[in-house]
Amino acid sequence: MPDFDLHFSPFSTDEAASYKLIELPSELVGLLENAIQSSDPLGLVIKGDPTEDAVLCTRDKTYSIRTVNLSNTLLVVTPPPDTEFNFAEDAVVIRDQLNEILELAPAVPRISKLVGRLRGREYDETNEEDDEDEEVDSDGSSRYTYTQAREEIQASDAELDVCLKQKRILIIKDELRPISPSYLNNILELTLNVLVSESLSHSAASLDRLTSALAGDHGISRVVSAQVLAWFGEIQAGGKWKMNEDEVIKELGLGILREHKNDDPIEKGAFVAKWKLAVGDTFADRVSLNLLAGNYLEGRPVGRIEHEYLTYFPSSTLPTDPAARFADLFLTRTKWRVEDITPFLSDIAVNNKERDKLLLKYCRAISESGAVWYTARAQYNG
Amino acid sequence: MIIPITISTDSSSAKLPSGLARISHDEIVLVELQGALDVGDCHPTERNGKLVGKLSIDDAMKKPTLLIGHHLLEGKVAAIPKPLAIMHRTNAAAKNIGDDMEVDDEPQLDGSIGGTRGGNDGQSAPEWTILGLVKKKIIFSKRPMPVIKRS
Repeated sequence: MPDFDLHFSPFSTDEAASYKLIELPSELVGLLENAIQSSDPLGLVIKGDPTEDAVLCTRDKTYSIRTVNLSNTLLVVTPPPDTEFNFAEDAVVIRDQLNEILELAPAVPRISKLVGRLRGREYDETNEEDDEDEEVDSDGSSRYTYTQAREEIQASDAELDVCLKQKRILIIKDELRPISPSYLNNILELTLNVLVSESLSHSAASLDRLTSALAGDHGISRVVSAQVLAWFGEIQAGGKWKMNEDEVIKELGLGILREHKNDDPIEKGAFVAKWKLAVGDTFADRVSLNLLAGNYLEGRPVGRIEHEYLTYFPSSTLPTDPAARFADLFLTRTKWRVEDITPFLSDIAVNNKERDKLLLKYCRAISESGAVWYTARAQYNG
Repeated sequence: MIIPITISTDSSSAKLPSGLARISHDEIVLVELQGALDVGDCHPTERNGKLVGKLSIDDAMKKPTLLIGHHLLEGKVAAIPKPLAIMHRTNAAAKNIGDDMEVDDEPQLDGSIGGTRGGNDGQSAPEWTILGLVKKKIIFSKRPMPVIKRS
């Protein structure tokens, strides 16, 4: 039976706590094994400020990191490092003694910070001139750049890019500027007009002609229009733009809905008519309220009982912390049907299973005349 | 702040003796002890390089043993339910800072502070490297048996 001398490392005091063990979810095992074989750098990073819980990001996913304490001790044993110490031939050394491992769990990217950082940095028509030649605008100190966001925001690169697209944030000379909703609507309406007036096809329009027309006739900078077009369609080989019809229709619908907050609901029929008018004849039959799921509340306000009314209620403005979000939702309504509440949870749960867990944790399900309703489980105000 | 994690591709580093290398990884083996190693030293640096005991394993990898002084531990090789990635801090940068400050009495301490602070001055940010994946460990979960003399 071969035996090996087990020693403490010659620098055990310096090396203490220099090893960490990470428990890997199965999808990461495959990823890492491939990376080790093919010498792929993989781009793993740990992100977080000292005040935040750290997360581990791959290129396209975010994992929360949790420390799990062990009652046992794990010794990390390796061959001896190169030193003047004379170890026996088959000696091995203890490099570190661990009492904890790190556990990873898939997590939703933490992007609420980004929204806070960009408050008051909206880009609209008043900014049309200053992006052309000025290197730094008047209040240069408050610039928030893509590079900064990549360092600070706890999300993988791919998720950050998706978030910029979803939140309609422009990158102008590396600076992040959320586009103002009314300006965005304006650009989309103009785009639809240009498609008609230049008789371009919405499935293969020349990107160059579109941006030229938008820049020439309407003064919209090419930097902006190219990014907006990329959000609302695909840019294909040969500089052709294929419009994502649903996205455009949805955004135009939001534009109308946005005017109708709590105190001013709009009657459903009137809204749809207005919406159809905005998208034009070509797309009128594609209009569907499903496109706006998670952005409106439907109901019959007191005194106007004969029709259904819609109110603008975007899930993107709700808190990202589950407890706070449920508190908010139940403040708005005391009970919800499952199909009504789920659109408002999709951005805080990674999948349906997680979402159902949240529903179980924060809601009480009650059956009433054949339908399942969710009500608040407890008071979350404290 | 961002802490990048690199993946070790350096295949030239020292290998474990073949008996241990077969367990899971050819450079690292994890040994799990119930409880902890209790060393009665006055200063932590005293233990550096000292012999702990004899670790041995049979060819079938069924019966690892660890002999520490007059105590013999018997264990087994167990699969780890979820593979573990072994990550090592290589903050060479932090060590350099310590070396640069020659007037400083405690370069080590300074280096480690620099390492944890990390952040904006990229120089002192810790660097972590994943050395490999481990799927099995040696676990000693029984009580030690007293040994009078080893044959």
